[in-house]
Amino acid sequence: MQKIPLMNAVAGMVLARDVFRNGNSTGFPVCSKNTVLTETLITRLENMDIAFIHVKGHLLPLDGDRSLGDILHDLEHRFVKVRQDPLMATLHDIYADYYRRLMGDDGGRQTE
Amino acid sequence: MDDRRSELKKIIMDTKTLPTLPGVILRLNELSESNKASVQEMAKIVSSDQVLAARILRLANSPSYGFYRVSTISNAMILLGVNVVKSLALSSSFFEIMEKDRIGLWEHSLGVGLAANLIARKLGLPECEEIATAALLHDIGKVVISLKCTDAETQIRSIAYEKQLFTLEAEHEVIDSDHTEIGAWLAKSWFLPDKLSEPIAFHHNVDLAENHRVKTAVVHVADVLIKASGFGDSGDSFVPQIQQTAWDVLKLTKQQLAELVEEIEEMLVEVKEFSLEMQA
Repeated sequence: MQKIPLMNAVAGMVLARDVFRNGNSTGFPVCSKNTVLTETLITRLENMDIAFIHVKGHLLPLDGDRSLGDILHDLEHRFVKVRQDPLMATLHDIYADYYRRLMGDDGGRQTE
Repeated sequence: MDDRRSELKKIIMDTKTLPTLPGVILRLNELSESNKASVQEMAKIVSSDQVLAARILRLANSPSYGFYRVSTISNAMILLGVNVVKSLALSSSFFEIMEKDRIGLWEHSLGVGLAANLIARKLGLPECEEIATAALLHDIGKVVISLKCTDAETQIRSIAYEKQLFTLEAEHEVIDSDHTEIGAWLAKSWFLPDKLSEPIAFHHNVDLAENHRVKTAVVHVADVLIKASGFGDSGDSFVPQIQQTAWDVLKLTKQQLAELVEEIEEMLVEVKEFSLEMQA
């Protein structure tokens, strides 16, 4: 799943979360998850001033076009001074898990 | 204080060359100190400087506060508090420099603002907006260094890179001081309240915070999280240690930490969009 600005949405993407009128779940629901986006639907969401949507998969490269391997390698480097500390090692693993989930098997690029 | 430091302090605090404070702020200060002034009166003064008012509104709608849609200055004053609006006004000239010339630091600051707000909300702390503001301002000393000691800044960067040091350590080697001390000087000269100046002064050493240790701890942890995520450019290539004091004061659990990472990462897309919008 990835959160993207609506302006980057294209027909064919699948919503991963419900869309609400004012961008959070206190608003009126306007479109349910699993809906396949069409040009008309995107225009309608634009007219409702929806700024961001959640779509399935990892369709847009967030940070250049880096692979999961590159991202994990950079993460490793950033943590090099604190890896021996148990709390910081936990934080490192939380981030590594997050990136794996974001780009890995469930919803990652490999399945596109 | 030794000679080198006091010399540096003199150069840095030379108000003639610091970005000028808009006259509006002086009047706002006077008003907010008198008990009789109403929010409407104060809002009117800020709104009379249109550029300043627009800047404050844009920041109030940034993801660092991000839970409101604020369209007028008086709304901002009611929702965020007079103190927050005043600090945003005070810092607006610094934000302007950051947005244009130090985009990496600007994005880092916005990211820490966002993270601090999310941490404060998760823990149910009071004054989330003040905490977000302290976080937005926490590295203001770095902007001063880059403005006033451009050569030193280049030297700090290269020493940090060559010797693989934290920026804070490199700053001590080059200028015998650091961005937290310089930020504290500035906060003092602006008469910022303790709840903003302590996180600026002690976000690398939470133990020293006397009156606002919780707020300082939030900014410290938020700074570490944004450095861990690699968002923006604080000048540091390495993630610093979360201090034991900060961890103990906040009583975060590892489960909460994992939730926070997820929430922050999701919102960082919006921070990036916001920063691009401000540069446009």
